[in-house]
Amino acid sequence: MTTFLVTIGIGLSTAAILSLSAVAFTLEYAVSRIANFAHGEFLTIGAYAAYSGQAIFHQNVAAAAVIATAAGAAAGLALNFGLIEQFRGRTAITVFIATLGVAIIVENVLTIIYGAANVTYGFSQGKLHHVGPFLWTTSDIEVIISALAVAGLIYLLLQRTRFGKAVRAISQDRALAQVSGIPARRIIMATWALAGAVAGFAGFVLADTIGTFGPTLGFSFLLLTITATVAGGIGRPYATFGGALIVGLVIQIAGTYTSSAYELVFAFLLLVLLMLFRPNGVFVRPSAVTVRA
Amino acid sequence: MYWVSVVTEAGIFAILALGLDVIWGWAGDFDLAFYGYLALGSYLTFVLTIGKPTPPVEYILGYHLPVVLAIALAMVAVVGLAAVIGAIALRNLREIYFAVTTLGAVSALYLLVENYTPLFDGYNGVYGLINPGQTALNLTYNGYRIFFLGVVLVLLLAAYLIVQRLSRSPFGRMLRSVREDERAAAAYGRQVFSAKYRAYLFGAALAGLTGGLFAIFISAFNPSAWTPQELLVIYAAILVGGRGNPRGVILGVFVVYIGFIELTRYLPSPASRPDFGPAMRQILIGLMIILMLRFRPEGLFRERPGLDRSPIVNGAPIPASQRPAAPPGLRSDEGATREGGASEGGMGRWAGGRRRAGKTERAGKRE
Repeated sequence: MTTFLVTIGIGLSTAAILSLSAVAFTLEYAVSRIANFAHGEFLTIGAYAAYSGQAIFHQNVAAAAVIATAAGAAAGLALNFGLIEQFRGRTAITVFIATLGVAIIVENVLTIIYGAANVTYGFSQGKLHHVGPFLWTTSDIEVIISALAVAGLIYLLLQRTRFGKAVRAISQDRALAQVSGIPARRIIMATWALAGAVAGFAGFVLADTIGTFGPTLGFSFLLLTITATVAGGIGRPYATFGGALIVGLVIQIAGTYTSSAYELVFAFLLLVLLMLFRPNGVFVRPSAVTVRA
Repeated sequence: MYWVSVVTEAGIFAILALGLDVIWGWAGDFDLAFYGYLALGSYLTFVLTIGKPTPPVEYILGYHLPVVLAIALAMVAVVGLAAVIGAIALRNLREIYFAVTTLGAVSALYLLVENYTPLFDGYNGVYGLINPGQTALNLTYNGYRIFFLGVVLVLLLAAYLIVQRLSRSPFGRMLRSVREDERAAAAYGRQVFSAKYRAYLFGAALAGLTGGLFAIFISAFNPSAWTPQELLVIYAAILVGGRGNPRGVILGVFVVYIGFIELTRYLPSPASRPDFGPAMRQILIGLMIILMLRFRPEGLFRERPGLDRSPIVNGAPIPASQRPAAPPGLRSDEGATREGGASEGGMGRWAGGRRRAGKTERAGKRE
């Protein structure tokens, strides 16, 4: 029973990181109607930016997190401006393949800069804490709190601001939003910056939790992100948190009771099963996708 | 001898690209599981020919079959795997959903093979298939390599002729009409799932064959030989050559593998940065994919409409703008028509099958 509860605790912390990455992925989808295969690269860029920054800011976790977030936002802006908008009007699958090309490019540019070998942060994971039935390190708790905070902020941003209203309008119909006087291009730009920022932060948190990472960090996390997004329903930011919870718990529980090497096997089988049995219910059809109010 | 091996490799991948082009170029399904079929074909060819494993090495089967029979069995198994994945992924899922599902399936298999050693010895992989039949053929090592190049080129020619013939057949045109607009194709009486499924199995069979040839070519196979990046090179080659055009696809593979990869071998690779050369190559592949998609999505050689040269006046096709408009429901959407040459004619080009009634209909039954 204790093992089970500890597993749940780790699962929650995994789910927290996953939800950050997945909510960013789903925001990108909501405004641009494309699945961004280079999304994982935002995480990698964030992680490496924090790695470069930690030397300058003398192991300050907060500074590293800010640098990761800023780098992710810049990457989001650059991808939208340099690629997504250039491919506007092309089929979703064409853009998908193009972002796949971007993923390869970014991964290898990082390999050239930082080398293919893994690097490590110098941050401490903190002490172990018993919180209720769970067993968490200080950084686990920080991760979970920051994920909840980001979830709250995104909710407020989408529901209570003019920006959020514009995002919701664009996600339903970009052309209609445009003729209603919404500056769609600018709002989409801002959304990509926001998504990139969240993803960059997620990348830092992920890298810090794993402890050691390389240029493929984000790419290998991407399919997990997509699974969580699908579980929640793509293009629906709030449901994504539920999806992340499902995926985080499933892989931790399955991994604990078989072998941690097979964690991802279960995640991908879950993805295939979701596609097989809930392709419409969970995976909302593009024409029916809305950001749920 | 160096060039023999380069051309052999390009020839093997050209067969693979022909198979992938049937799935992606004709049927329009962006399949990310495809390299897994090559991998399975390769693994099975090994375990069926190299005999029992000696501990601590472990793998399944371990027979001493003749290599030709082993490749044939491997192809059957690969088609079986594709039948399962295809049945799941092709039934209701399209485009990105299809791509993600196939990626999920192949990633699960990849991790399984990598971590579960009794299957194919995990990360170490299988090896030991060195020039099968060399003594029987009474050849030197180099002579065998040249002989093998000949075998690969003959198989490539055979695959090309089959694919080329299929491309112009009612089956090829049906796949293209399904790709352009599924609902319209279904309205014309096409079985959308079955058409796509058959295309998928055909492509997988070619991938299985390629796996067998690849096993002989490199005589060792482990998980690092089938990372997702490998598949991207094939996609890049198809994009360069011309999606949907068999001749273009083969040319694309030779351009990408020989022209491109061989030229980038001479990139500086300083000792302090051993990753520089390979990384640079991957970057160029990525750039090539993006630039081709952006500026010339139809590739160097456009897809040809085959026998169905419907609206032609004075030897020149009528521009899309001057053709009678299709009923609204039959139009491909804006996105699809912007794909460039391949889709320019929309339904008009590929759905012509039924319009040229009699002959096509009879031909259709023969499939």
